[in-house]
Amino acid sequence: MNTNMGIFAIFFSAIFTQNILLTYYLGMCSFLAISRQVKASLGLGAAVIFVMTCTSALNWLVYYYILVPLDLVYLRFIVFIVVIAAFVQIVEMIIERVSDALYAALGIFLPLITVNCAILGACLFMIIRGQNFLQSVVYGCGSGVGWMVAILAMAGIRQKMSKSRVPKGLEGAGIALVIAGIMALAFMGFSGVIK
Amino acid sequence: MADKKSRILLWQPMMANAFYALVPIVIASVYFFGWRSLALLVIVNIAGFLTEYAFCRVYRQPVSSAVFVTNFLFALSLPPTLPLWMAAVGVIFGLTFGKMVFGGFGRNVFNPALVGRAFIYVAFPNHTNAFWSDPFRGFPAGFAHFAGDAITGATPMTILKQGGEIPLVDLVAGFTGGSLGETCGILILLGGLYILWKKSADYRIVISGFVGFLLLQWIVWATGTQGALAPVPALFSGSFLFGLFFFITEPVSASQTNIGKWIYGFLFGALVVIIRTFSVWREGTMFAVLLANVFAPIMDLAIREIQAKRKAASR
Repeated sequence: MNTNMGIFAIFFSAIFTQNILLTYYLGMCSFLAISRQVKASLGLGAAVIFVMTCTSALNWLVYYYILVPLDLVYLRFIVFIVVIAAFVQIVEMIIERVSDALYAALGIFLPLITVNCAILGACLFMIIRGQNFLQSVVYGCGSGVGWMVAILAMAGIRQKMSKSRVPKGLEGAGIALVIAGIMALAFMGFSGVIK
Repeated sequence: MADKKSRILLWQPMMANAFYALVPIVIASVYFFGWRSLALLVIVNIAGFLTEYAFCRVYRQPVSSAVFVTNFLFALSLPPTLPLWMAAVGVIFGLTFGKMVFGGFGRNVFNPALVGRAFIYVAFPNHTNAFWSDPFRGFPAGFAHFAGDAITGATPMTILKQGGEIPLVDLVAGFTGGSLGETCGILILLGGLYILWKKSADYRIVISGFVGFLLLQWIVWATGTQGALAPVPALFSGSFLFGLFFFITEPVSASQTNIGKWIYGFLFGALVVIIRTFSVWREGTMFAVLLANVFAPIMDLAIREIQAKRKAASR
């Protein structure tokens, strides 16, 4: 992966050509569970953008200033998930104290995000691709936006389908997976647009 | 009135318009590529009808004649050398996962023909992307042959991208390689205007699609992007026109609000140019339609929300 890639290219490729949800299938569980309602999708999407941006910054610092000097790189999976969980818990507490409205809108989604594999995935990808600090933050933010775009489109489709008559065996998660598959097929069209 | 209905097939007069528009294109595809294109069409229709029939028996409703429009469009979007069984696989997949699992006619979220085509396009890239046959010329041309014998890897998109030249007359009249129904620009325009006149297609989508395509194509061409074609040849090469009149206008999967339709068409035109020019694929129409389908519902919701807010504010 080219490390000199422009910041904008990283941002847009994280949204379209390498959408974390539709190209790598990460963060599926909350995607399937929450996308029934547009409002909830909006809230969760915003929370994912926020957490992804912050944790990819934190984990970048942890990785290059703690793990690499101490030669503990093999612990990165555990350390990353601990950092994410701790960060999410602290943010939740702060939001609860500071703003009731924000807590009502975002608070319930934060615990869900701790176990969202897309967050950990974005942190691991930024290491694999050898991005520098700024690139990692932009990549995290772009991945979050891409995740939000996907879940919003999904929520819209599921809303539109409220009148559809889906076969019994496919209701709920089944039809959602079929839709996600076709969405992924459509997103393949972007492959190669931003290299 | 209900007692007279056939239990197997429900005939919808609206769908007839689409057939009248497509028949000349079918005849042209035989002229250019031989009787094999008719064989593809027949296989696709049989497989498509049986798929829909299998589901409709469970749903206890007749098969709607819309399935034949889907079948025709699907068949006309195929390359002339495609093995027959692949065409059948494509239409079965498209109708099953693009239409019937959503509840059948009038309930599909995506364009079923293109779900099927995208599936075989990605699953069998060699057959759907590499083998094209040169069209016949003169008379009786394809009427005297089963299949074209000259197999090349070239469609106008490829030739023009590599800097080759094709006379504009050939592009417009359809003497180029390509999918069965996409080559003859004149017949597509005529058929398209016919369904516009009959209001089977929405003029908002078509106009904004034209504008989006020409505007973006002009931008990438004027800025000298590598591989970008000049707007007019680009308009007549590849499947943009066919997609613009027959695929993106499919009313069920399209945007449902009037403002949404303008944006929807523009988005489609712009995406075709972006995918054509920059992606690894040679042609972008199919993916552009599916992507527009993906974003149409959330766009409608947002537009309705904004309109409701405005109404509440003006009160």
